[in-house]
Amino acid sequence: MMRTHPIAAVAAGLAILAGLTGCGKGGSSADGEDTGKEIRFVAAKYDDDTQPYWESLIKDFEAQNPGYRVKLEIVDWEQIDAKVKTYIQTRQQPDILNYNAYSDFARDGLIYKASDVVSTQVMKDFLPKFADGAKYGGQQYGLPFLASARLFFYNRDIFRKAGIAGPPKTWDDVKLAAQKIKSAVNGVSPLGLPFGAEEAQAEFFIWAMNNGGGWVDSSGKWAINQQANVDTLRFLRELTKAGLTQPNPETTNRKDVFNLFSQGKIGMLNGAVFQRKGFIDTVDKNLAYGVAPLPGAAGATPQTLSVQDFLVAFKNGDGKNGDGRNKDAVSRFLNFFYQKDNVAGFLKTEGFLPVTRSAGDALSSDPYYKPFVESLANARFAPTDDPAWSAVAGAAKQQIGTAVADADPKTVLDKLQDAAAKND
Amino acid sequence: MRDARTTPLETAASGVAPRSVWWRTAGRALTPLAWVGPAVALILGVVLWPAVEMVRTSLTRVSSSGLSGGFTGFRNYAELFGENDLVPVLWRTALWVVGVVAVTLAVSLALAQVLNARFPGRRLVRWAVIVPWAASVLMTALLWKWMLDDFYGVVNKLLMDTGVIETPVNWLAHPEVAFACMMAVSVFVSLPFTSFVILAGLQTIPGEVYEAARVDGAGHLRTYFQITLPLLRPVLFVASVINVINVFNSFPIIWAMTQGGPGRATDTTTTLMYKLAFLNQDVGESAALAVVNFALILTLALLYSWGARRQGRAQA
Repeated sequence: MMRTHPIAAVAAGLAILAGLTGCGKGGSSADGEDTGKEIRFVAAKYDDDTQPYWESLIKDFEAQNPGYRVKLEIVDWEQIDAKVKTYIQTRQQPDILNYNAYSDFARDGLIYKASDVVSTQVMKDFLPKFADGAKYGGQQYGLPFLASARLFFYNRDIFRKAGIAGPPKTWDDVKLAAQKIKSAVNGVSPLGLPFGAEEAQAEFFIWAMNNGGGWVDSSGKWAINQQANVDTLRFLRELTKAGLTQPNPETTNRKDVFNLFSQGKIGMLNGAVFQRKGFIDTVDKNLAYGVAPLPGAAGATPQTLSVQDFLVAFKNGDGKNGDGRNKDAVSRFLNFFYQKDNVAGFLKTEGFLPVTRSAGDALSSDPYYKPFVESLANARFAPTDDPAWSAVAGAAKQQIGTAVADADPKTVLDKLQDAAAKND
Repeated sequence: MRDARTTPLETAASGVAPRSVWWRTAGRALTPLAWVGPAVALILGVVLWPAVEMVRTSLTRVSSSGLSGGFTGFRNYAELFGENDLVPVLWRTALWVVGVVAVTLAVSLALAQVLNARFPGRRLVRWAVIVPWAASVLMTALLWKWMLDDFYGVVNKLLMDTGVIETPVNWLAHPEVAFACMMAVSVFVSLPFTSFVILAGLQTIPGEVYEAARVDGAGHLRTYFQITLPLLRPVLFVASVINVINVFNSFPIIWAMTQGGPGRATDTTTTLMYKLAFLNQDVGESAALAVVNFALILTLALLYSWGARRQGRAQA
């Protein structure tokens, strides 16, 4: 039997081989027909309403721009870091990405400058504070997308039971209120302190900035192990050891304490603007809670942590003048999104704060948002413009919680300072 | 068997070869390649190429955005060996592997004995033992995480109701306790496979041997230690090797339950590798750890083949 088909057998074997190697290349054949009119948009998933919003926006865009297509991919926040890194390493970066970082893409020359892809009208519409926070090397690369701000949330019922008149203004007030709650109210944790991996870097920064500390010094150099930061961690550790926080802050994630607060099991915490929509209303619409400025060291102006997310546009395909071939389509879509109603629609859907002037007016009618919008005047950002930031944030997420438990704050902060130096 | 294997070759040599043209000869010479080729390609593509790629990455500087920055020598390794956490993590990994595999084998031996005994409902019990195997490891780990949770977990509720503890304990926040819990979960998910392999081994031991032992007056213990265990040796060997490799590479249990935290206090090399790449944004250093991991596994595999050969000789 074999004797009659030696060549056929070889051919069959080679065919299988070819099939195998063909698999590896995957979808690259599509590049051949790339007209630059079809773009891929990877968006982060804020909640279940994210996908319907983008789908309907893309439908409108495609209706108004015949011949252009946008392929949408929604990625969960928990997976997006790994996914983005893999895309870039395998040179499959999307055309537009909705993400929380931009500076290392800018450093590596992967993305367009903001002014290359959106109209001057849109550029002028960005609030200056947010535009400044989207620069790398003096040029704006990130497109501010939305912002959150953090304020102090307290449970009015628990405060009443503990006989506390109003929200604490200073750290001493926080400690005192926590002690009162601990002795007067059973079954609740006085202070929610999320130092688990999810958002430990943010929780630390909120406390540190209101104590005169922070990630960088006034000249913009990394100053993670400065004295004010060490003192901040010492103070928080003292609260933890005195049993004034929920047990084991170093392993409690932000979503855990937000959930517990919604259930009335936490007296006070550093809350966030999206907490009402994402956490409280889904559990107990009638929860009696107040929102106040973040407490700080005595006499200091309360500052708030603002976090902004970005859209970034990748240069894909070889086009003219070193631009990507996708520039026209990308720019059309971005200008379409940054129309007032489209941006405001997204913010209302997701419960975040505006980063453009035009959308701002649309949101300030809701009294819940008002203090948050006002707090932005004293908002501070994590140094997302420094390319080392994502590595520092990653290291902080893993390590900084240990400083409010058993590790020595100074040692932990020194380690983070090293991580920053290594990536600069 | 023997005939079937040699016939084509013999006919090829005697009958057809002289008459064939050159391409036919060449084709015939290449024939084996057609059969071996796909397998070789598969191994090259799926095993060797990623390994080469891994070593290459470990010698490359990869920027935090994921872009490759060219050859950097052994810098990634220098950084890796400079990590204070590396040595504790390596020791913990050793404890993890040895502890989980040893306990798994011990419990599985007993379990297999039970499953091998005749009793009503044996079929049901055998099925029940399969369950942790059939369920996804990630699901099992998440389930345990919730059971151990200090706010909602059933373990705390149980211990408080019975008066063992007064206030809920956040079990997974204490590295030693958390690590022990995760080892227990790892044992739990390793049991089905191991006990069934041992059960299969038990069933290959001929009844006559036991009969002979009984006639010679051997007691239960003596029978077990001098007949059952020695005859199970090859099976135990296979079970332990497969378990060692599985447990060494185990990621979902630790990631789902503690993410290696607090800090890096419950990391093994596998989870640390992930953290280096995706939290510290250092793919190069992570690849260096992957190479170290690979070397460790390779050493174990070599020890295995050495052991297997020795065992084969002993049996021959």
